[in-house]
Amino acid sequence: MKKLELDVNRRLILKGSATALGLATVSSFPFGSSLAASFPARNIKVYVPTREGGGADRLLRAVTGVWKNYLSTNFEPSFFPGAAGRVGYEKYMGLAKDDMYELLFGNMGPEVLNWVVKKPTFDLSTFQYFAQVDSDPGILFVSRRSKFKSIDDVIAEGKKRVLNVGVSRLAHPATLGALALAKHTGAKFNPIPLSGGKNTRAGVATGEMDLGALPSGGIVSRKKSFKVLVMFSHKNPLPGRSENAPTMNDHFKTNMPSLIAGSRAFGIKKSAIAKHPDRFNTLETTLKKVFADPAFKKAYLKTKSPWEFIGYRGPEACAEYSRNISKIGQEFKELLSGKKT
Amino acid sequence: MEYDLSFFSEMFVRTFSFWWVIIPAIFLGLVVGAIPGFSAANTIIILLPLTLAMDPEIGLTFMVALYASSRMGAGIPAILVNIPGTAGAAATPLDGYPMTKQGRGQQALAMSFFASISGGLFTTVIALLSLPWLSQIAYYLHSVEMIVIMFFGISLIATIAAKDTLKGLIAGFFGLMIGFIGTDVVYETPRGTFGFLELYDKVPLIPALVGLFAISEAFAIIERQSILTERGKAAMQNPGWSATFEGIRMAASRWWHITWNSLIGLVIGVVPGAGAAIASFVAYQQSKTYSKTPELYGTGHIEGLIAPESANNGVTSGTLVPLLVIGIPGGATAAIMLVVLQYHGVTVGPDLFLTSPELAFGPFTAMAVTYVLMILTALPLARYMSKITVISTIYMAPIIISFTLVGSFVPRAYLFDMNLALVFGVIGYVARKTDYHVAAILIGVILGPLMETYFLRAMKMSQGDIMVIFSSSIGNTLWVLLVISLALPYYMDHRRKKLGDGS
Repeated sequence: MKKLELDVNRRLILKGSATALGLATVSSFPFGSSLAASFPARNIKVYVPTREGGGADRLLRAVTGVWKNYLSTNFEPSFFPGAAGRVGYEKYMGLAKDDMYELLFGNMGPEVLNWVVKKPTFDLSTFQYFAQVDSDPGILFVSRRSKFKSIDDVIAEGKKRVLNVGVSRLAHPATLGALALAKHTGAKFNPIPLSGGKNTRAGVATGEMDLGALPSGGIVSRKKSFKVLVMFSHKNPLPGRSENAPTMNDHFKTNMPSLIAGSRAFGIKKSAIAKHPDRFNTLETTLKKVFADPAFKKAYLKTKSPWEFIGYRGPEACAEYSRNISKIGQEFKELLSGKKT
Repeated sequence: MEYDLSFFSEMFVRTFSFWWVIIPAIFLGLVVGAIPGFSAANTIIILLPLTLAMDPEIGLTFMVALYASSRMGAGIPAILVNIPGTAGAAATPLDGYPMTKQGRGQQALAMSFFASISGGLFTTVIALLSLPWLSQIAYYLHSVEMIVIMFFGISLIATIAAKDTLKGLIAGFFGLMIGFIGTDVVYETPRGTFGFLELYDKVPLIPALVGLFAISEAFAIIERQSILTERGKAAMQNPGWSATFEGIRMAASRWWHITWNSLIGLVIGVVPGAGAAIASFVAYQQSKTYSKTPELYGTGHIEGLIAPESANNGVTSGTLVPLLVIGIPGGATAAIMLVVLQYHGVTVGPDLFLTSPELAFGPFTAMAVTYVLMILTALPLARYMSKITVISTIYMAPIIISFTLVGSFVPRAYLFDMNLALVFGVIGYVARKTDYHVAAILIGVILGPLMETYFLRAMKMSQGDIMVIFSSSIGNTLWVLLVISLALPYYMDHRRKKLGDGS
C-alpha cells in the first residue's frame, strides 16, 4: 500500500514537472505562432554519409557557410560513415523527420550505384535528390612513370593482356566508365577496388596497378605525378589542367551518358516536400543564390578544387542523372556484384 | 640546390627555434595518445582551423610534434593499466603491464620512453639521409609481399599460444573470425554483421581495443584492492629517480635491439596503408624469435617492451616518406597533413625538394627535434606517471570504464560503439578468467582484416590464381624468412635440450 502511494506521488511530481516545463517553454516563445509560420525557425541538420574531414565535408562547409546567411539559421552536419554511404542513408531514412529541418548531403553517383548492386532496406521511391552542387567527371589515368602515354597505348596493350585498373570501389561511375570503354574497344580491364581515392592513387603511383579510374579532381591537382588519359564526360571541363585529355565519346565515337563520378547533392525525404512545399521552395531559392555569391567561390577555392565543377542542378537534373547512372549500372550489375568476373 | 651538412645544420637550428610550438604539441600528443579513441589524426582534424591559420612550416612542425609524441603517449596506459592508447601500442602491454604489476612501472615507462625516443630519432635521421632510396620501398612491397608481412604479425598468435597451444589458437582464430565481420573489400558483401549497419565497415578497432584490454581489465582489477602485487606495492613505497635512470640504462644497453626493431617500423611505415599495429606485432614476434630467452616474454621482459615501442616510433617517420617524395600519404595522420599543405598551395612530390626544401625536409627535422626535446620533457614524467598505479581500484576501475567508453564513442560518434566496447569487455573478462589470451584475440581482430584485404586484392589481380602469392621474388624471399623465423625457436629449443642432455 505504501509503495502504491509512493508511485502516485512520483507520478504527480513528474506530471507537475512536465506541465511546468511545458508552460515555461511556451511562455519563452512570445511569438510562437508567427515563428511556426516562418521557416527556418531552428538549425537544419545535415546527414553526411562519409567521414568528417573529407571532400564532402569541405564542400558542405563551403556551401552552408554562405547558405546560412540567406536562411538566417545554422547548419549542423552529422557524419555517418560506413559501407560506402549505406550507413548514412539508412540512418537518414530511419531517423530523420519530414519537417524540412533534416537533409542529406551525399555523392549521387557511387551511392545510386550502391542501390543498384544491393537494395536498401527503405523504399527508394520515398527519397530524392533536389540540388546537385558539383560535377567532377570520371577519368582514366596513369602514373607519370608508366609506359602508357595515351589512351591508345592502353587499349593496344589491353588487347594483348589483362590490365589491372585501380578503382575506388566497384560500384562507382569511374569504374563503369572503364568497363564501358573495355566493352567498346575489346580491351581487357580487371577493376581492382582499393577502398578510396587515396589508396587508388597509391596503387597507381607505386606501379601495382597498370592504370586507375577516379574522379578527375584529385588527379589534376597532382599532375606532376599522374597523367589523365581519357574523360567519361560529354566535354572536358579542365582542358588546361588535363593536357587536353580527350573524352571517350569524342575519341572513340561512342554515345555514353556523362559519367560524373563526383556529384555531391542534397537529398530529402519526398514526404517532407509533400508536407511543406513552401519550406522546400525557401530552401531551393536560397540555395540557388549561394552559387552566385562571391563568398561561396572564395570559400570553395580554399579547398583547392577546380571551380569549373561547381554548378547548381535542380531536382529534374538530379533525377535524370540518377536514372542514367542506374541504367548503366544495371548493364554491368553482374560484374559489379561478382556474379560474373 | 646542394644538401650538405651546413644545409641540414641550418635546418635543425631553424627547427629548434620553433620550440615554442613543439613543446605544447608534445604535451598535447602525450595526452591524446594516452586516451583510447583520441588519436593524433582526430586531434589534428579538430585543430585544423588553428593549423590552417599558421604559417605552413610552423603548422607542419606542430602536427609532426603532436604525431610523434602521441605515438609515445599511447604506450603509457598500455604499460600502467594494460590499456593501449592506439592499435599501434597493442603489443606494448604484453610485457609492459607485467612489469607494472611487479612495481616496476616507472622503470618500464623509462624504458619505453627511451626506446621510443631513440628508435624514433634514429629512424628519422635514417629517413632524412636516405629519402630517395627509402621511397623506393613502396614500389616493391605490393599486396603479395604484404600478405607475407601480415603472416609475420599473425604468427605471433602461435608464439603467444606456446604456453597453452589449444587455448591460444582458439583465441587467435576467434579474433580472426571477429576481424572478418563486415563487408568484403571486393564486392562489399556483408558477412556476420547480425544486421547491424554499424558493422558493415568491419568491427571498429577502438571499441575492440578498449573492450578487450581496458574494460575487461577494469572488471578484473575491481576484484582486488590494487593493480600491484604485494611485491609491487612494496617497490612503489619510495619511488625515486633511480628507477628512471635504471630503466634508461637497461634500455640503452639493448641499443642493437632498439636499432633493428625501429628499422622494421621504418620499412613497414613507408608502405602506404600499412601501420604501427603491424610493425609492433611483427617486431615483437621477431624479437622473441631471435631472443636467447624467449621463455621470459610475457612475464615483464625488457626486450618484449622495447621491441614494439621502438618499432611503432620507427613507423612515424616512415609514413612521411611516401607523402613527401611521391605525394602519397603513408597513414591517416600523414593524409591530414597533406590537406593542410594543399590548403597552403603546397604540392607535395619530388619537386617540393627543389622548390621548398624547408617544407620537404622540415617534417623530418621537426620530428628529430621533437624527439630530442622529449628527452627533456617526457622522460622525467615517468617518475610521476607511475604513481597512477597506487590509486585504489575502487576509483581506478570506474575512471577507466568511463574514460574509455567516451574514447570508443569518439572516432565514429556512434552510441553503438560504446555498447560494442562493453560486449568486448565481457568477452575479454571471460577470456582472462578462463586463461584465453586477449592479445591473441586482438591480433586476429587487427591483422585479420588487413591480411584479408591484401589477399583478396592479390587474388582479384591474378583472376583467382592462388599461386600469385609465390609470384614475386621479394615475396618468396620473405616466405623463406618467415619459415625460418617460425622454425628457429623449435630448432633452438631442440638444440638446447640436446646440449642439456649432453651435459
